[in-house]
Amino acid sequence: ASAANMAALSGGGPWRRGWLPALQLVRHGSKAVTRHWKAMHFQRQKLMAVTEYLAPKPPVPEQCLPPKKEVVEEEDGYVRLLRRQVAEAFRDNRMIVVCQYNPMSNEDMLLMRHYLRKHNIEVKFFLNEIVRPVLSQSKYKNLLPLFVGRNIVLVSPETKAKEMLRVLRGVPQINLLGACIDDTILSKKGVENFAKLPSLEASQGQTVGALALLPSQTCSLLQRGPARLAALLDEYIRQLQAGVTPGSPRGSPAEPSPSQSSEAH
Amino acid sequence: NMASKIRVALRPVKSILVRFCPFEPNVESTRLFLQRIYHKKIYDTNRNCEVTADVRHDGSEPLVDVMFADGERLIMKGANLTTVEMLTALSSRCNAKELKAEQKSKKKSP
Repeated sequence: ASAANMAALSGGGPWRRGWLPALQLVRHGSKAVTRHWKAMHFQRQKLMAVTEYLAPKPPVPEQCLPPKKEVVEEEDGYVRLLRRQVAEAFRDNRMIVVCQYNPMSNEDMLLMRHYLRKHNIEVKFFLNEIVRPVLSQSKYKNLLPLFVGRNIVLVSPETKAKEMLRVLRGVPQINLLGACIDDTILSKKGVENFAKLPSLEASQGQTVGALALLPSQTCSLLQRGPARLAALLDEYIRQLQAGVTPGSPRGSPAEPSPSQSSEAH
Repeated sequence: NMASKIRVALRPVKSILVRFCPFEPNVESTRLFLQRIYHKKIYDTNRNCEVTADVRHDGSEPLVDVMFADGERLIMKGANLTTVEMLTALSSRCNAKELKAEQKSKKKSP
């Protein structure tokens, strides 16, 4: 039928005039929106069936489920290695300084590391999660509150506090929080005082000098009485020789006797 | 991280002093605040701003003292504040001052 229609409408052959076909090819269609119920297109029906809303079911009570096996976290080998490194750093070095690390340029960081290396001070970065358990089990429990935020740890087998402070003063982004020098926990002021202390040899010399001071004084203390007596007697002799009456109110007890004065000496 | 998104324009600020006692337990927010200030994007807005950290050991409270260029002073006691709160407070004041300065310069040169 459609072929006949096409031939008719194109106007070829004996029918020159086009004619309207008697049959309309359009079905008796209703529109999409109708007043009566109209079944959906099959594809639409399928889509609606698939995308239906499913209400959430109440969770099954725990007793009905099989018991959950507790997952034990394996300790990472890497974490263990880092912890060992931390413990070693704390054990092998006499001076351990904890500083706050604020963002600074890489060149500054490199320069600071270089200057500290010259004094045999190493700069170490540790993660807080690793340091905290290590510290809590060791004897450095009081250093625990320091490890908040980003920190660096300066470790050194020597205790060159003065040079370290000088380097750190040139870098404003590193703030000294606390230190542990020779198993003694110090605050920032403590470190500054420690830096001001004289060296070990000087302080040893000072102690020896202080101790030796007292015995050195004993000799002069014992001699003081007789020495004073001798001095007074000498003065008395001089006064006699000068011709002044020896009525001195200083109270020279006896007559000048050369034997006594020589005895005192 | 929320704290890294807050941008502070430090131009109206003359100096910032951060004082805390690291052995106390309530200094975390103040220390993080200090770290944030040194971040490149904030510190670069005003290189002349003097940031000083005062580390004490006398059990005093953590304190942030900000001196503005027009003489105003902002003191924040960080014992019960979070880092984000301190940063937002500082940034809001800085922005307000910047706006005022811009308006003044606009009025002067129309």
